Amino acid sequence: MFDPGRPLTGVRVADLTMIWAGPYAAKILADQGAEVIKIESPRAWDNIRTLIPPPVALGEHWWNTNFYLHEYSRNKKSLTLDLGTERGKHVFGQLLAHCDVVIENYRTDVMDNLGLTYEWLREQKEDIIVVGMAGFGKTGPEKDAVGYGPIIEMMSGMTSTTGYGDDDVPYKSGISYGDPIAGICAAAAVATALIQRKRTGNGQYIDLAQREVMSTLLGEFYMDWSMNQRLPEHMGTGHDWMSPHNVYRCAGDDEWIAICVRTDTEWEALNRAMGSPEWGKRPEFSDQILRWEHRAELDELVGAWTSTIAKTDVFAALHAERVPSSPVWNMLEMIRETHLKARGFYEPLRHPEVGIWSVHGWLWRTDGAGPCILAPAPDFGQHNAELLGGLLGMSDDEQAALEAAGIIATRPEGVPPASEMPLTPSML
Amino acid sequence: MSEHTSGNQVSDAAGPFEGVRVLELAEGIAGPFAGRWLAALGADVVKVERTTGDPSRAFGPWPDDLPDDETSGLFLYLNGDKRSVTLNLETSDGREILRELAESAEIVIESFEPGYLSERGLGYEELSKARSALVMISITPFGQTGPNANLPATELTLYAASGQMWLTGHPARSPLKNGGSQPSYQAGLNAFAAISAAYYGALMHEQGSYIDLSMQETYAAMAEAFHNRASQLGIETQRGGNFLNALWGIYEISDGFGGICALPRNYPGFATAVGLPELQDERFSDPGNRLINNDELMAIMYGWFVGQTRQGLMELGIEHRVPFGYVASFEDLVDSEQLKGRTFFAERDDARAGRLTYPGRLWLSNEHDWNMGAAPTLGEHNMEIIHGELGYEREDLVRLRELDAI
Repeated sequence: MFDPGRPLTGVRVADLTMIWAGPYAAKILADQGAEVIKIESPRAWDNIRTLIPPPVALGEHWWNTNFYLHEYSRNKKSLTLDLGTERGKHVFGQLLAHCDVVIENYRTDVMDNLGLTYEWLREQKEDIIVVGMAGFGKTGPEKDAVGYGPIIEMMSGMTSTTGYGDDDVPYKSGISYGDPIAGICAAAAVATALIQRKRTGNGQYIDLAQREVMSTLLGEFYMDWSMNQRLPEHMGTGHDWMSPHNVYRCAGDDEWIAICVRTDTEWEALNRAMGSPEWGKRPEFSDQILRWEHRAELDELVGAWTSTIAKTDVFAALHAERVPSSPVWNMLEMIRETHLKARGFYEPLRHPEVGIWSVHGWLWRTDGAGPCILAPAPDFGQHNAELLGGLLGMSDDEQAALEAAGIIATRPEGVPPASEMPLTPSML
Repeated sequence: MSEHTSGNQVSDAAGPFEGVRVLELAEGIAGPFAGRWLAALGADVVKVERTTGDPSRAFGPWPDDLPDDETSGLFLYLNGDKRSVTLNLETSDGREILRELAESAEIVIESFEPGYLSERGLGYEELSKARSALVMISITPFGQTGPNANLPATELTLYAASGQMWLTGHPARSPLKNGGSQPSYQAGLNAFAAISAAYYGALMHEQGSYIDLSMQETYAAMAEAFHNRASQLGIETQRGGNFLNALWGIYEISDGFGGICALPRNYPGFATAVGLPELQDERFSDPGNRLINNDELMAIMYGWFVGQTRQGLMELGIEHRVPFGYVASFEDLVDSEQLKGRTFFAERDDARAGRLTYPGRLWLSNEHDWNMGAAPTLGEHNMEIIHGELGYEREDLVRLRELDAI
């Protein structure tokens, strides 16, 4: 029966992606119902497994338990396979005959160095859909440049738009914004290629440059350059015609609320929320243009109101009056936030060695869909037997021979035991 | 590698959405951004605008800063290759025409306040009566349900509500917002992925679906692993400004700002590329030591970066496979040989707005091109669609205009 939440059911994906951008794409494909087989070499596993050792080593097999891995690889299967060996490559070819999609975010030259060219992949499966997600693309003078999310963001124009406006310093996003953006786009690319294959019978090669995708989110800045040869000014948290439009400090340490007023109606609503202070009636705040001209003073007055009140109480007053606003939620607050909770955005993820914690579920909610999270990230090589034996019909002896030769494994080679890991709370 | 092995020759084959009718009942950025890519991939996107036009027509930039509904750069960017009809859904004639239009649509994108369409008999249940395989997506700030569903939002409040703002900005200053309209754009990109996946399901199973997309949720989902760090380990993450550590951040260079994002495995290549002997010191020998001596490493890096140039960093990065980059401006980007050579830009002489250069595609495919045509003027296709396709008489159009229905 068709599950509307999982429209990609029946699609099998060979997932060669690592770290973030690629795994984010494959996560979406897995959530949407595709059978995503995460393929890692016993010697070159996804770095995300071991990049951030947990401050308290969670279980003996700590490369299977860290939160970073589970964020990106829930609902996937794990197959280990050394693609750098002829035998590993041969098994990969057998697997490809059963796959619809290959997705990779290696450095530009890696697939070809491994002999996994588009031609070779097509020989294994004529209508295969291949998505390469190199940072700068597979062609051109910068194809060999490498970069993680913040580099992508810098090189796309994004970083040049962000800053406080008083120090001429461009700022990066708090996250590696380039990665999930490229991941979402690659998931879309896979879906469009499946649509096209359904219509034409052809597979295709998709060369997706992460930097280019990020840059499409900045259209109006390109237009301003085309039309007026003007580069963006840093707006901080202000706006070029709205006021109030800022983040205001609330009671407590590093507590903030964002408030925006777009219309006279919202200005009146804000005044009611503030308890109708006398200053709210001053003529210099009586229309949008005047408010914007007096924005510095207005920010001070609104800030004085919020500064003694808890941000949740400020928000309750603004919410009741339908003033565009939101507390600046921190991460511990996000996972408990009332609205997201009511919608079931975070779902429990259960892992046999760690227990239960919450991760985000559906990116978008389809009518009739059940829970998003069906399984935690797979253990390293967890599905070797199922895929090699069950799907490819390989005997137990053959699998044992592959393991003996180090082509497959259930433990990443060279990972120290948990007890020898440095205990660091750092993200890197 | 040889360039041809990646199969990058662009073919003139039709896009995957060729012949698919999309009804776009969405304004602003998010919905139109999704619709824009469907149009670029061949869909016939009919953009239904209120009679005063999509409000994005009233946002700039405009040539020479002269406001004009037909030359807003934002609108032109987001609405290429679409057809525009105006409809007033507050009139029964307007609603009836919408119903008739929906009969030929396989995909509907809408961004009204939750409840608006269903209260007017135009919700998924009604619109899918003519086509059970209809894919419909609602894109709203907080989704269709929950206590904030009808709370108005802006880019800034969504940035705060998604957890992104907490993580961005200098640790000693207020939280900061990204430039532009990222909460909307990212939601539009997610919507494009959601529609594409759902449409594939509809093609395979002849069953439609209704999707509720919350901009807050799609944005929150990319708060990296920081929310899982909170939920699995109970650890809060503080904003770090331009630095996660000395090897992950933005430094001033001689002609602007440059960046480095080196994971532990990139360190050997990085140290070779920089070439300073002290980087081989015991105090920087592994991630733990580098963390302990981060301030010293950062001081060295400040000194080194200030002597670098943007072009020099790129060359060094390519030569040593080290993640170096620089803060590129839009001037740099439109001049980039890399981007121009990869046909990234649409370059068009717009009848009203003049010569325009802007991102024209998302990826390169050996199976399809991207349409990079003009955006419609307000109601440009009223006659073509309402008269030509739906069969209303010309006199009807006059009457509808008098009734303020179109």
